[in-house]
Amino acid sequence: MSVPLAVQISSHILSSKSILPSQAWLTTFLSTQKPNLPFQSLCQTALYRLLASEITASVQPTPENTIPANIHDSQKSLLKGPIVVQIADVEDIGHSKLSQLEALESAERGEKTKGKEVIRVVPGEAEDTDPDNLGLAGVGGPHKLLLEDAKGTRFYGIEVKAIKDISIGMNIGSKIVLKDVTAIRGVLMLEPGNTTLVGGKVEELHKKWREERKGKLKAAIEAMKEDD
Amino acid sequence: MVTKVLCVAEKSSVAKAVAGHLSGGRFTTRNTSNKYIRNYDFDYRFSQWDHCQVTMTAVQGHTEEIDFIDRYRKWSDCDPADLFDAQITKNIDKSKQSIADNIQKEAKKARVLFIWTDCDREGEYIGTEVRAFARRGNASIEVKRAQFSNIERTHVIRAANNPKDLDERQAMAVAARMELDLRIGAALTRFQSLKLQGRYGLAPDALISYGSCQFPTLGFVVDRYMRVKNFVPETFWYLKLLHTRDQNTTTFNWDRSRLFDRMAVVLLFESCMAGGTALVKAVARKPSKKYKPLPLTTVELQKQGSRFLGMNSQRVMKAAEALYTSGFISYPRTETDQYDQNINLQALIGKQKDDTGNWGWGQYAQNLLDGEFDQPRRGKHNDKAHPPIHPVAYVTSPALPDADQRKVYEFVVRHFLACCSKDAIGETTTVNIDYGGEGFHASGLTVIERNYLDVYPWDRWESSQMLPRYQEGERFTPNEVTMQDGKTTAPGYLTEPELIALMDANGIGTDATMAEHIEKIQQREYVFSMQKNAAAGTSSRGTGRGRGRGGRTASASSRGATSSGGNNIFVPSNLGVALVEAYDLIASDMSLGKPFLRKEMEVNMKRICNGELSKEAVVHQSLEQYREVYAKVSLRLDQFRQTCARYMQSNTGQ
Repeated sequence: MSVPLAVQISSHILSSKSILPSQAWLTTFLSTQKPNLPFQSLCQTALYRLLASEITASVQPTPENTIPANIHDSQKSLLKGPIVVQIADVEDIGHSKLSQLEALESAERGEKTKGKEVIRVVPGEAEDTDPDNLGLAGVGGPHKLLLEDAKGTRFYGIEVKAIKDISIGMNIGSKIVLKDVTAIRGVLMLEPGNTTLVGGKVEELHKKWREERKGKLKAAIEAMKEDD
Repeated sequence: MVTKVLCVAEKSSVAKAVAGHLSGGRFTTRNTSNKYIRNYDFDYRFSQWDHCQVTMTAVQGHTEEIDFIDRYRKWSDCDPADLFDAQITKNIDKSKQSIADNIQKEAKKARVLFIWTDCDREGEYIGTEVRAFARRGNASIEVKRAQFSNIERTHVIRAANNPKDLDERQAMAVAARMELDLRIGAALTRFQSLKLQGRYGLAPDALISYGSCQFPTLGFVVDRYMRVKNFVPETFWYLKLLHTRDQNTTTFNWDRSRLFDRMAVVLLFESCMAGGTALVKAVARKPSKKYKPLPLTTVELQKQGSRFLGMNSQRVMKAAEALYTSGFISYPRTETDQYDQNINLQALIGKQKDDTGNWGWGQYAQNLLDGEFDQPRRGKHNDKAHPPIHPVAYVTSPALPDADQRKVYEFVVRHFLACCSKDAIGETTTVNIDYGGEGFHASGLTVIERNYLDVYPWDRWESSQMLPRYQEGERFTPNEVTMQDGKTTAPGYLTEPELIALMDANGIGTDATMAEHIEKIQQREYVFSMQKNAAAGTSSRGTGRGRGRGGRTASASSRGATSSGGNNIFVPSNLGVALVEAYDLIASDMSLGKPFLRKEMEVNMKRICNGELSKEAVVHQSLEQYREVYAKVSLRLDQFRQTCARYMQSNTGQ
């Protein structure tokens, strides 16, 4: 075995998922694993952990897989990628904040409106398509995403054409790989052809986002009140 | 020996009409000791009982009422919670004793009791009361029931010759509902009143009544009110594309309609502006139809009455009842929106064909008979008791006693003729274009055949401006593409058609009782009915006592000047908001301001009717649920009062 294990795993994940793990992170990861595990399952565990951790810690930034620093300079540019990012925030821009807050609050009360009928939702029942009670059923974007790359740079992406699995209910911290994306004034125009959801979830970020969502909606609505 | 038959109807007007039809107008009238009830004697040959001497009389709806036994009647004598189990007795109202006596006396002479109460649940129960009175006079009397849904002559005669049995299950369902309404209503009314009297500007003897249908009804009004009150306008942005061709300027709307993020719209705008020309992606011409209405149910009649005729549901139903009693329309309480195969629609249309300019639909009816007829649509509901509301006889406009009856009759006939007509036919053209990656569309409608619209002026379907011709695949340069903004607008306060629709969808009340519940919450001053414009722009809410209603009397006739219009909106009083918010806060999903508990009760009534559940099981289950809410609220009385105080004092303090 001339090639070190960390490098083998790294190139495996790079070729299958277009994500380059950081060597430091991989080394730490390997130190926690039992020796002599089969290569395949080791790769799988590594990928799983990588997707569940902060992108700045686990992904090795390169000029290709991060957003160029000068992106805001050009009116329009094409980013070849593959660029790796994680979801820092997701917002539904197709619906008013108030309607989202109302949906959220009625879901918290265990109610759902079906046409004119108010239904009491018992969690876990077949009718319950919204297990997290976020009041999301039927709410469908488009979404504005706040994305973060391996250098920790944050920028916006807009879901120009509906992308499966992008929703208010999606996991915060989940990883996305972008290829051939158009950026206008530094904002990425996302569509199914250039955006691949690899998955994962950073538990703390996700939990925090959920806890804060209602407060953020409320604050945004309050702010609009004052505008009037 | 000639058989004697005692017939009993639910109200005297029906007794008189049926007696008239069966006797051919030859009956003798006897007074009874009740000034509203007369006995009509005549001979009739029933196919099942042969030649009979018939006495036709009536009750006045329910004769008995249920109440708690004496020791629970005084508020001071027991804890309201005791009322969930307190013993109940049946009493006859003093003014109605003579009605029961009359039936008992007449039954002595009769071999058969033939019950002609209205064919619905309530009528079935009233039938069991009548049976009980009759058996007191004649324990072995044979009991039959007439099944009818209108008071037109041939229909009445058919019903007379096809007697059925009383439906005990339906009667049990009503008995269950009555017991629950009494226990729950009394317990919570006493609780609310005792705990709030003398506080927050309420009189020391204020009666704060609770009803298990009224409160969810109030809940809908409060819910909408809060949404209007909490509304904050939000800015949205959108793109609009204009193109002029053949001197016509067409507006193409953005496929995304609108977005709530300015940056996103700016970027999409810039990005599509770089595109140059617009490409016509598709030109679709599609036949389109405006469907004729479904056969008329009570709920629809009430909703449309409010929307089209400017009458509230109480007034609509009163006029409809009168038209039914006079034999002009079928029974106006029905859930059925499909016609039975056996009904002779042609004959019913035929009765309207000779109208000569009086109403203006004679020629239209004739045309239906001459080949324009089309089978009515079939809805999904069938209450198995009554057909959809339809005209059974023709009457001229001057022959009807008042404007309300004229309006309702006209609506019922026009609706019926519309049901028997063809759908309106048109063609829509939709042009979809792509401009720099963004989709836009424009569409136009051409009405080709109006059909039912000619007899049904309340539906609107007009041709729009003609679209210029566009070819699929062609490119053009838009004259103007702009980014615009707008603001979301607050929802309106609840209107009566909306409230009825909410009650219907959530199982609050039956078609027979919805109008009453709406009236009740106004009488209780939990809700005020206001002119649409009066509420707009002001933040005024009734003060809980009188304001906004002008000088209404305590008895609050439903014909009061401000509540009678159909296009009014409902706004809750401070007390109304306080009660709903207090229950919502404390009992959350079991809140009395929500429809869930009542809906379950209503579903259980149906299950009694189907024989799936017993009356006892249903009463027990519902009582347990309400008892739980009661317990929760009494445990957290302080919070209940604080919530009420918050809404009540915000008003009195200023």
